[in-house]
Amino acid sequence: MLKVDDLVTSYGLIKALRNVSLEAEKGKLTCILGPNGAGKSTLLFTIAGILKSDRGSIQFLGRQISKMKTSEIVKEGLVLVPENRLVFPHLSVRENLLAGAFSRFSRKDEVEEDVESVYQRFPILKERYLQEAGTLSGGEQQMLAVARALMARPKLLLMDEPSVGLAPKIVNTIFEIIKTLSEEGISIVLVEQNAVKASAIADHIYLLDQGEITFSGSPDEIEDNDIIKRAYLGDITES
Amino acid sequence: MEFLQTCLDGLLFGSAYSLLALSFSLLFGVMKRVNLAFGSSLLLSAVFALWVDSILSVGIIGIFLVMLGSSAIINIYVEKICFYPHRGNYGAIVSMISSFAIWMQLDDLSSFLLPDRTASFPSFLPDSFFIIDLFIRIDQLFLFFIAVLMTGVFFYVLYKTNYGLLLRGVSFDGELARKLGVNSSRISSFAFAFSGVFGAIAAFLILSTESQVTPFFGFWCTLKGLVAMMLGGIGSLPGAIIGGLFLGLIESNVINYLGAEYRDICTYLILLFILVVKPGGIMGSAILRDERAASERI
Repeated sequence: MLKVDDLVTSYGLIKALRNVSLEAEKGKLTCILGPNGAGKSTLLFTIAGILKSDRGSIQFLGRQISKMKTSEIVKEGLVLVPENRLVFPHLSVRENLLAGAFSRFSRKDEVEEDVESVYQRFPILKERYLQEAGTLSGGEQQMLAVARALMARPKLLLMDEPSVGLAPKIVNTIFEIIKTLSEEGISIVLVEQNAVKASAIADHIYLLDQGEITFSGSPDEIEDNDIIKRAYLGDITES
Repeated sequence: MEFLQTCLDGLLFGSAYSLLALSFSLLFGVMKRVNLAFGSSLLLSAVFALWVDSILSVGIIGIFLVMLGSSAIINIYVEKICFYPHRGNYGAIVSMISSFAIWMQLDDLSSFLLPDRTASFPSFLPDSFFIIDLFIRIDQLFLFFIAVLMTGVFFYVLYKTNYGLLLRGVSFDGELARKLGVNSSRISSFAFAFSGVFGAIAAFLILSTESQVTPFFGFWCTLKGLVAMMLGGIGSLPGAIIGGLFLGLIESNVINYLGAEYRDICTYLILLFILVVKPGGIMGSAILRDERAASERI
């Protein structure tokens, strides 16, 4: 579904991504793990067209998207959920949702339908639909950010560290939501630092370190690989 | 009765200030930008419309339409030159300074099109009438009603349309909007064109009540708009309306009781006083408090 090949992105002279190649399959949850500064967000931003790559190709559903603008990429069905549960704090919950559907404002009924289905999925958002998004709790804001992305009718969701800065209990809820979305057939590329939680729900895992892919395999294969397991997962068997 | 009369005059004319202040507030409150070239763009559009009229004799409606169109185009030009390259959190001062340069450019263009320095501007609805001893100019009354109507349109566009929604989104967090794929360039052009059209309607009404246009009109618009916005509260849209009406009231009462030469000095004294007592203007501090509270929650 998404095929990234030999991707290079740099900030000035510093190469943040060095020849990254990866693939995300349809209906699967692909997870990219890595420490701070590994280039995870850079990778997502490059795929979403927010940063431009120096070299390499990004194919989505067979189409080359590496030269497209973000707005066009969103129309293709590739939607980013940015890090830090970014919502528009002064807009109401409902307005935040509508802003997610900006690429198809002309089809009003369809947008209304989607708002309703999002409300069914996240009843708390319906309760607070007139409230300013800035007054929601952290977990609710993250739900809103995911819900806003769903408003664009994504074929593939790019999720940038959805668990960051949230209380452990809320993190569980968020991962439940991600799991449900994945089970419903929405393809997801998930970038995470919370390796234990992420590998529990992922179908395929890539490890990204200093801009390079250092491992690619299923969660079970990570289990079998002691060095990687210790470096990225910690020793979960002991704890 | 005399006091009532001056208050009425002040309110009627103050509505024009409100419109100018709203245009500024759209860009300041929503885009966080000060466009110093705004008044000059209105002057240029008026002078250009008169120039077109002198060649094609398009009539008063033609002048009105040419003003709207040219003001929209001039404001998009200003946006592309001064504001779009400096979007982002740190471009506020750079874009303000470059809008100052464009102000000079637009004023020069206007004086090029206005070699006689003054031109008469067509008026309409010239009659006046009295209601129980109160003298009312119909054109000013008309200006007032249009101002009320346009304020409604303004709020409708900003709060009930999709463009308004995206505009508010882009202004609160342009970076996030860009990540979502919102075409912020088009939204920002739309905001400037909108404020241009809005300002041009105000300028047309003001000029036709004054029945002439001079090269100082641009500076006058910028000054009155900014002062009214500061009085009412920087960044607050209701504040812009209140500030405009308040400015009108101050001016007409000062002119009546102290004389026209004291008008500006009293206006600025009152502005200073308000900024000392209520920093941020009449409605401004509430806005600041809300914004701080909201950003702390994130």
